[in-house]
Amino acid sequence: MDDDSNGSHLSVVLDLSPKYWELSARDPPENTYPLTLATFLSQLLAFLNAHIACRHENTLAVFGAFPGKSVMLYSSSDPLPDAQSTNTNANSYPPFHAVDSAVVQRIMTELDSLEDQSRRAELDLLEAPSAMVGAIAKALCYVNRITLPPSSNSKTQANGFHPGVLPDPRILILSISPDLSTSYIPIMNSIFSAQKLKATIDVCQIYGPNTVFLQQAAHLTGGSYIFLERRDALLQYLIMSFLPPPAIRKTLSVPTQEQVDFRAACFCHKKIIDIGFVCSVCLSIFCQPLPVCTTCRTKFPMKTLQRLNAARPLLATATGNSRSASVGRAAAVTNNGVGGLPHSGTIGNGNTSNGR
Amino acid sequence: MPRRDAEYMEVDSDSDISVGGGTGRKGKGKDKAGEKRKKDKGKGKATDAAYTWEASYTRSWDTVQEDEAGSLQGAVEDWMARGRRRRLLAPAAPVRRTIIRHLILLLDLSTSMLDRDMRPTRFDLTLQYAREFIVEWFDQNPLGQIGVVGMRAGIGERVGEMSGNPQDVLKAIADRHKLEPTGEPSLQNSIELAKGSMNHLPTHSSREILIIFGSLTTCDPHNIHDTLDACVANKIRISVVALAAEMKICRELCDKTGGQFGVAMNEGHFKDLLFELIPPPAQRALSRAAGAGASNPAADLMMMGFPTRLPDASPPSLCVCHSELRSEGFLCPRCLAKVCDVPTDCDICDLMIVSSPHLARSYHHLFPVKPYTAVMSMADASSSSGCHGCARLFPVVALAAASEGMSAVGRYRCPDCQGEFCSDCDVFVHDVTHVCPGCGK
Repeated sequence: MDDDSNGSHLSVVLDLSPKYWELSARDPPENTYPLTLATFLSQLLAFLNAHIACRHENTLAVFGAFPGKSVMLYSSSDPLPDAQSTNTNANSYPPFHAVDSAVVQRIMTELDSLEDQSRRAELDLLEAPSAMVGAIAKALCYVNRITLPPSSNSKTQANGFHPGVLPDPRILILSISPDLSTSYIPIMNSIFSAQKLKATIDVCQIYGPNTVFLQQAAHLTGGSYIFLERRDALLQYLIMSFLPPPAIRKTLSVPTQEQVDFRAACFCHKKIIDIGFVCSVCLSIFCQPLPVCTTCRTKFPMKTLQRLNAARPLLATATGNSRSASVGRAAAVTNNGVGGLPHSGTIGNGNTSNGR
Repeated sequence: MPRRDAEYMEVDSDSDISVGGGTGRKGKGKDKAGEKRKKDKGKGKATDAAYTWEASYTRSWDTVQEDEAGSLQGAVEDWMARGRRRRLLAPAAPVRRTIIRHLILLLDLSTSMLDRDMRPTRFDLTLQYAREFIVEWFDQNPLGQIGVVGMRAGIGERVGEMSGNPQDVLKAIADRHKLEPTGEPSLQNSIELAKGSMNHLPTHSSREILIIFGSLTTCDPHNIHDTLDACVANKIRISVVALAAEMKICRELCDKTGGQFGVAMNEGHFKDLLFELIPPPAQRALSRAAGAGASNPAADLMMMGFPTRLPDASPPSLCVCHSELRSEGFLCPRCLAKVCDVPTDCDICDLMIVSSPHLARSYHHLFPVKPYTAVMSMADASSSSGCHGCARLFPVVALAAASEGMSAVGRYRCPDCQGEFCSDCDVFVHDVTHVCPGCGK
């Protein structure tokens, strides 16, 4: 693309949950393709360097989601003062070196301090869910900062960095933990604000099951969601799918997600459900009929409760195996050569949609 | 405080050049009070906007003033601090709003719509604003539905069926040749038609009629007051935006059904009146005790399903709504039937299928972020050198003068996580993301 002379901005959000990285690093009987944090970081840094190398104006920010804490690891607008002066290697390109050392050092210090804290508090802080939402919110704040016209008090012009001219900011989420259903609402709020900022959210799920909410994030902001099947080929996935800006991806035919799961988390038990009960006043979602809405204190009529409770036995079986059903559903849809749903032949309008 | 120059104002009030934006105001704002009022209400507000022919230039650049150093920063921050104070003052008690809305847009298509007092004509302007209105309305009411009815030649005419898809509604009013104004309007006939198409709707949703009325007459077959009583009984809320002048019957329609009535003075005011009707109406305030005790007949628990979206590349199959072969579609979670579009009711098992992001759009009203408090002095500030959200460095010296609610050191602290944020992030977090980057809630 020669026509846009501006660089593009990339914010990377790293999920650094020690628990899941440990699981991901286990050897073949458990994982076909083990991936350790160290290999991951070396491949990631190559990707980050590639982004900076693409264009001089490209900007980068890296955020880490640690258990219970989110940290900005690196940003190209305010480089750490110590990173530039110390141990410059004659054989390395200084901007690459600055990114690499800053990211690795910050991760080390944060992990060490986490370990110290958990030892002191005699709690296993490392097991806590990672603060993904905080990291995404920080990434959004940062995108907002660089897309705002420069205000007079910002000192960002110092290193030739001009805010307000960067098209299509992107946020790449490298996720390793499963869905955090407790943070359903903040994640959705972040997605809507990314839409308002016209920022694209790309998601790469490195380990574990598909995450419903991140799938929705990528779908709603026009990004791509990739489930990493060959974890040893991470760098190739990163460079082929996430390096080009969204405008170019149309021509490159980047892999897209199979299907988007629009399930939501209920407010009462934080379960991820596909059929729920919704309060008509505040739209809170519950997984079972309640007499009073817990959010807005609206009382529901008895008649509705009786009717819905009567309908529930049917539903209970439906939601009980929904997890497996949805997987099976996917398989059924894709395997059924002509397409079509298993039922459409019998319940459609009587015609033969199975085609066999 | 910015000051207006009296001699410029003379020029202002004498000027008779109309401004398309319509953000003009009567040129009498020389006194302090007028100035204050304008500042408080912001521009383009209904009450002090002028008639089209009286409109004058507004100088938006006069309302900000440079400080001694020639910088605009002080004025801008003052303006932001005002927004912050307003947020702190906003009532914390939740307001109930109707979220599932049904609206019939009633367009006057009588000959009076061909008047040229609004440019290019009332009719063209109405169509243009109606399109913008529909887009914005669906953005804020993703679960709502709009139908369009036209009134011309003495009858009510169905222009577009009730639909939840903005594209369908826009298509209905896309062709202006099909809507060419003729004859007299009939309020009664068209309200009856609109009422008839909303009779079957469930009680927990709202039923609204929005009339854009350009005529000063209506020719009705029967007593229109009977129709009005029927609307009151059916809990239909009627709002009218009149383009010509106030009519007693229009005022009465709105007052008795709880709607809003307004007469558009110029193009900008017309748009303001129309767009005021977009946010979901607050439900009649129930007192806290009564609200918890008394069962609200309008509230109900609904069973909803969240579908799976099939990609464009999937093998095509027949949909249950149109029986057409399509690749993309949504699977009902209960019976796995494929429907083309959401929100809808499943044609097979009658489950209401909605996309959960539609619901989630309104959740920030339910769980707002707590307002941040301004850190007043350097001694009070924490040791962090940069904003907790965007990592922008905080100023190291305190500003000399800071107005109320504005931090002299540029730091705003979250009461929960004690993180400190810059003023840009404070505004961004409360107005856009609704997620505190520190607490992640």
